[in-house]
Amino acid sequence: MAAVDIPVAGGHAADAHGDPHANYLKAKRGIGSWLVTLDHKRIGLMYLTMVSLAFLVGGIFALLLRIELFSRGKTIVDGETYNRFFTLHGAIMVFLFIIPSVPAALGNFFLPIMIGAKDVAFPRLNLLSFYIYLVGLAILLVSIVSGAVDTGWTFYTPYSVQSSNSVISMTLGVFVLGFSSILTGVNFLVTVHTMRAPGCTWARMPLFVWGMYATALMQILATPVLAITLLLLCAERFFGIGIFDPKLGGDPVLFQHFFWFYSHPAVYIMIVPGMAINSELIATFSRRAIFGQFAIAMSSLGLALLGFLVWGHHMFAAGMSEFATMLFSALTFLVAIPSGVKVFNWTATIYKGSILWASPMLYGMAFIFLFTIGGLTGLFLGTLSVDIHLTDTYFVVAHFHYVMMGGTVIAFLGGLLYWWPKMTGKMHDERKAKIGFWFVFIGFNTVFIPQFIMGSRGMPRRYYDYLPQFEPFHKVSTVGSWILATGLFITAYTLLEALWKGKKAPRNPWNSAGYEWLTETVPPLANFHQPPVFTRGPYDYHLATPEELATGEDGREVSFTTQMAAKESTHPA
Amino acid sequence: MNEPATFQLPEQMSTIAADVDWLYYFIYWLSVVLFVAIVGAMVYWAIKYRERKGHKAEPTGHNVPLEIAWTIAPIFILAFLFHKGFTGYMDMSIAPAGSMEIRVNAKQWGWEFVYPNGGSDSELHVPVHKPVKLVMGSADVLHSFFVPALRVKRDVVPGMFTTVWFEATHVGQDDIMCAEYCGGRSKDANGDELPFPQMTGHWSMHSLLHVESEEDFMKYLVSIGDKCASYTVKGQVCPNNILVEAGQSLYTKKGCVACHTTTGAKLVGPSWKGIWGKTESTDHGPITVDDQYVRESVLDPQAKIVTGFPPTMPPFRGQISDQELDEITAYIKSLKD
Repeated sequence: MAAVDIPVAGGHAADAHGDPHANYLKAKRGIGSWLVTLDHKRIGLMYLTMVSLAFLVGGIFALLLRIELFSRGKTIVDGETYNRFFTLHGAIMVFLFIIPSVPAALGNFFLPIMIGAKDVAFPRLNLLSFYIYLVGLAILLVSIVSGAVDTGWTFYTPYSVQSSNSVISMTLGVFVLGFSSILTGVNFLVTVHTMRAPGCTWARMPLFVWGMYATALMQILATPVLAITLLLLCAERFFGIGIFDPKLGGDPVLFQHFFWFYSHPAVYIMIVPGMAINSELIATFSRRAIFGQFAIAMSSLGLALLGFLVWGHHMFAAGMSEFATMLFSALTFLVAIPSGVKVFNWTATIYKGSILWASPMLYGMAFIFLFTIGGLTGLFLGTLSVDIHLTDTYFVVAHFHYVMMGGTVIAFLGGLLYWWPKMTGKMHDERKAKIGFWFVFIGFNTVFIPQFIMGSRGMPRRYYDYLPQFEPFHKVSTVGSWILATGLFITAYTLLEALWKGKKAPRNPWNSAGYEWLTETVPPLANFHQPPVFTRGPYDYHLATPEELATGEDGREVSFTTQMAAKESTHPA
Repeated sequence: MNEPATFQLPEQMSTIAADVDWLYYFIYWLSVVLFVAIVGAMVYWAIKYRERKGHKAEPTGHNVPLEIAWTIAPIFILAFLFHKGFTGYMDMSIAPAGSMEIRVNAKQWGWEFVYPNGGSDSELHVPVHKPVKLVMGSADVLHSFFVPALRVKRDVVPGMFTTVWFEATHVGQDDIMCAEYCGGRSKDANGDELPFPQMTGHWSMHSLLHVESEEDFMKYLVSIGDKCASYTVKGQVCPNNILVEAGQSLYTKKGCVACHTTTGAKLVGPSWKGIWGKTESTDHGPITVDDQYVRESVLDPQAKIVTGFPPTMPPFRGQISDQELDEITAYIKSLKD
């Protein structure tokens, strides 16, 4: 990989956006310069803004759902409205928030920096994916305003073919968002393959980048299937071609196969990036390399592969053949192995480390705590006879929230706090961040632990009203949602407050050995002032120089020239 | 609603419930042990090795045996769980021979249960200690038949039959709920909101299961078998299965008689005598003649042709009601040797 071209000055990004050595936030000014930017960091921040807004809206729907369920009967909205609310909560959180959150926002910002590249391979394509995302988002918003999508985020036929027309605009929105996902995935794959700096070998490649790489693979392979499914749904709806609707001779279970063939890999598109962030957090705040780094990288790829083979476990009660059911159950259990390997490796990394209890590390440890619960409750659901009782109950709701929110969202928050200084040049208030964390952590468990219990006691999902025996559990869960929301608002405030009140961030506030902390805070437009050459891995604390690990109060980039001279021979061929 | 059996699981009312619950609690305690070990170790080490003056992280080494061990060891536990879960699932899937069959019709938003004597009701009554097989169909969208105390759940899919079976272990009552989202309505035709009790939907698709003694169940059957009443009035004996009789008349009315005998003799199509439950070889491989196959063969006869017969039967899709299909099926069933 020594032949990789790393232009520092010149190149198209510099031509379009001025001095490559200028702080990327100040290289050009004005809204216009943001809207047409080709800089992956600015595109990442624009994505971050949009996904944060999506999270806010999806979260408001969640709070409304919980308030409605606080007591039996009608609390604030009628039944149809409730059905729309949970549909919107699910669709917004999945398609507008979680799927793009880590890859498109943090991945866009940090993937090129962490491999020492100047930008992604196709900066224009990157900007295009952002605008495609906006178009998809706009279509979704239109369907929200025109109202009445009440199918759940899974759009199961035949209900979705019979219910309101907005289903079509909603699925069209998801279809468009899928293209954004695919283009980002292609961009990342090419970037990782062709633009790694000298010394950033596959073996040294940061685990965050490995996670993004596995995610990109899944996005490219799985998302087209969703597009096909949604097109078939439209064909049935508009032209009456019988595909899924039994009245037209179609098969409703076929839709579920199609849907989960995409949406199960999508579960890994959502969680693998969270795991990727977590590996960075655990390494930095333990001051040592991740134990079994190779195994962590391979387990991401393993999950990416297995993710394609287990879609049927969403349908154990749906009327599949016993043989198919058996196969899917067996394959599903295999997923436990790479997931377990990751958890074991993170825990072993903490052993004999030097653990800094900073706010991002609290999220890192919370991730292990919550993801372990999410993973272990998956064992109940993979076990066929037990799954029959638990499927489509609140047990499943709690399980996937422990994985999606307890995993990905927690990692996303941890990653934001971790990288905020590098992204914005400002330090947040650690005390507020930690207070916010404890509200989030306690609130989250208060919401979802009662849901496990009411689920195993037989409370079905997606119920507007429920039997009296479930009321106490719903009440606790709703109170938990208020604690959780308080924590999230404190955290959001902490991050935003840093922008105008925060101290100037040093180069490496967490004393990390990671590659992204070698460059200046705030990074220059070209990411590094000099072409970086990496002579050690991103977690080699014992090889990092004191200068590299220092906070670096002046914010200036670590010099690569001395390293180059000293370790010229170690460059990979 | 009954008192739950344990904090996490509802009362057990079926023969399979104890096995399911055993496995549930096995996984639960396994999870507790693993969770305490992992999170306990994490918190303990994070405190013990916290960053402080004079303490430095030890560079990460390699421990290949350990890594192999924790990759391989879970496989044994997982294989055990898979095996127990799968065998338990097979027990739930295969109804014992001689189960009493009850037809279940699901629709937005209610249940209808049709008993062997032709009577129907919106609540499910079953005799205790007798295997009961539910043959379920949906008139509109997906539904799912769920009774927590029985530990059974099965989606009800329009356009096909799904089945579920159970044997109740004691007299009692439990909730029947729909577990697959099926929409809802809370506004009237003018778009005005209905008062809460009149809002219907997925959440209100609730019914009751009554497990009764054999004697009570027989009384119940008589009470709903109003079709029988018409026979009694005429001084005739009520047939065991009213559906069979209706099916027999359809056999001539719909013209089945032209190609299918009920004596075992072969005409253009296979004879119905003894065909129920048999495994026939077809152009799509061997197939068991059951509700699903009969339904398909009436609606879409070319789908699977029994070997040795010409594909000449006309499709009846759109020309026969679900009720009539049930009657034909019951008649074919009655011709079993």
